[in-house]
Amino acid sequence: MDSIQKLYRLLLFLVVGGLAWNILPFLGTVIVMLIFSFLFTTIFLQSVDSLERTIHSRGGSVILIIGSVISLGLWFFGSFIANIGSQIKEFTSKLQQEDFALSLEALSIKTREYLPDFMSNMIPESEKIISIAKDSLGNVFQNILSLLGSAGSFFFLAVMILIFTIILLIEYHDFKRSLVQFIPNKYLEVGLRMIYNIEQQISSYLRGQILAAGSVAILSIIGLFILNQTGANMTLIVFIGIIAGLANLIPMVGPFVGMIPAILIALMNNLGNDAALAHQLFGVIPSPFFMLDIIFMFIIVQQIDNNFITPILVGESVGLHPMAVMIVLLIGGTMMGPLGMLFAIPTAGVLKVIISEIIFISKNSHLL
Amino acid sequence: MKSLYENFFKKNNSSDPILHVMEKVPIFGNFTMKELKEVARLTHERSYKVGEPIFKKLSPGEGMYVILNGTVEIKDPDSNTVFAKLESGDFFGELALLDEEPRSAMAIATESAKLIGFFRTDLLTLMNRDPELGNKILMNLSRVLGERLRRTNLELTQAN
Repeated sequence: MDSIQKLYRLLLFLVVGGLAWNILPFLGTVIVMLIFSFLFTTIFLQSVDSLERTIHSRGGSVILIIGSVISLGLWFFGSFIANIGSQIKEFTSKLQQEDFALSLEALSIKTREYLPDFMSNMIPESEKIISIAKDSLGNVFQNILSLLGSAGSFFFLAVMILIFTIILLIEYHDFKRSLVQFIPNKYLEVGLRMIYNIEQQISSYLRGQILAAGSVAILSIIGLFILNQTGANMTLIVFIGIIAGLANLIPMVGPFVGMIPAILIALMNNLGNDAALAHQLFGVIPSPFFMLDIIFMFIIVQQIDNNFITPILVGESVGLHPMAVMIVLLIGGTMMGPLGMLFAIPTAGVLKVIISEIIFISKNSHLL
Repeated sequence: MKSLYENFFKKNNSSDPILHVMEKVPIFGNFTMKELKEVARLTHERSYKVGEPIFKKLSPGEGMYVILNGTVEIKDPDSNTVFAKLESGDFFGELALLDEEPRSAMAIATESAKLIGFFRTDLLTLMNRDPELGNKILMNLSRVLGERLRRTNLELTQAN
């Protein structure tokens, strides 16, 4: 290649790069939609393929699977919102009662007793807590309404992701074939191996994560059920379990997010109950409103998940060093928040496959 | 009556050159037209210029090729020994469907050629989607390899 040709290539690269840099912010939403659609496609691909074998219709199997998932999701959120609504209503009426204020005062005093002096000043007065709780709960429904108002763009995004996912699921194998056509002959076999490895990496990771989330949900439900037998007076345990399972999809932070609804429900249900206020974990450690019991139960579930379930289900699917996982999570979290943390590990897994193939190509270029 | 049935209920598949060539390959032998189409959906049609290598010696094998048209030579690039001259309907590289061992020879297009590539990743996908069909391919592949082993044994016996 002569120097003028090199110069032209460099100029072309700069022009294309500059254009891409300027256009990218406008394409950001489309790229996010495509990434989500691709991930959902990877999750459902195997089920669609299996169903297609039975009913002999690709379109039919896609509609059946996606339809069932959407119906299940709608049913879950519908009943969750209805249940949490009545729970909040009940709690708001509880707040109006006088004995409730006394119970809160008792909790405030008890907490101050166990905390060192410098920290006890940080606990607000009970009236203050009630007024804060009243204000915030009164605003919950207003917040939900305003949230629904701003949910228009989210709804549009969700519908577009759904449409992309359906198209990708129906056309997946043909789409992949068309993509392979663009690979030069020289890199055909390496390219095919790379695509296959990336597919395997993502699908095994996602499938493992979903199974692990399901197991965490079931274990949390069992744990909360056992706590109920000891008088924890927990409601919505199925919903709390499912939320804990879903939150578990976000590594490291998720498990802590998962226990928050459980603690809130325990607080709402047990405020005003003296026995719950005086409850002690193992009869030794004070655990007002079973809060420590709940935290302890979630820690046990996490230990079972981390030491038995995830290693078996997810295994070495991504094959990253724990230190690398933490760094990748930090980068993902800094760049895109919880969403970034959710996608950080599979993205790192894909990058690992691509880098290892590039290293292979550079080492064995004489064989291509 | 038969022609009426063929016209209305069966597509005329002889017009599809890929299916036409594939049904002659022993690995896809005894396949129904529906099964053949299922496999064809996973294959990749590639064009090669004269003198363009399809794969090089010692490169990791990923799959087999069936020649749609043109000619291909299988040779050892070190000694320039030509092991086989292949033409339309012939196939090569089928061992790579089973393992990732390096290719023992190179394949090069001696005329501009159109090939169908069927790769290990395609076979694995097929085994996931349709295990019965995947097993059928594996059985046929074993039969082809067994046949070749028997022939090699016979040649060795005759040479001794």
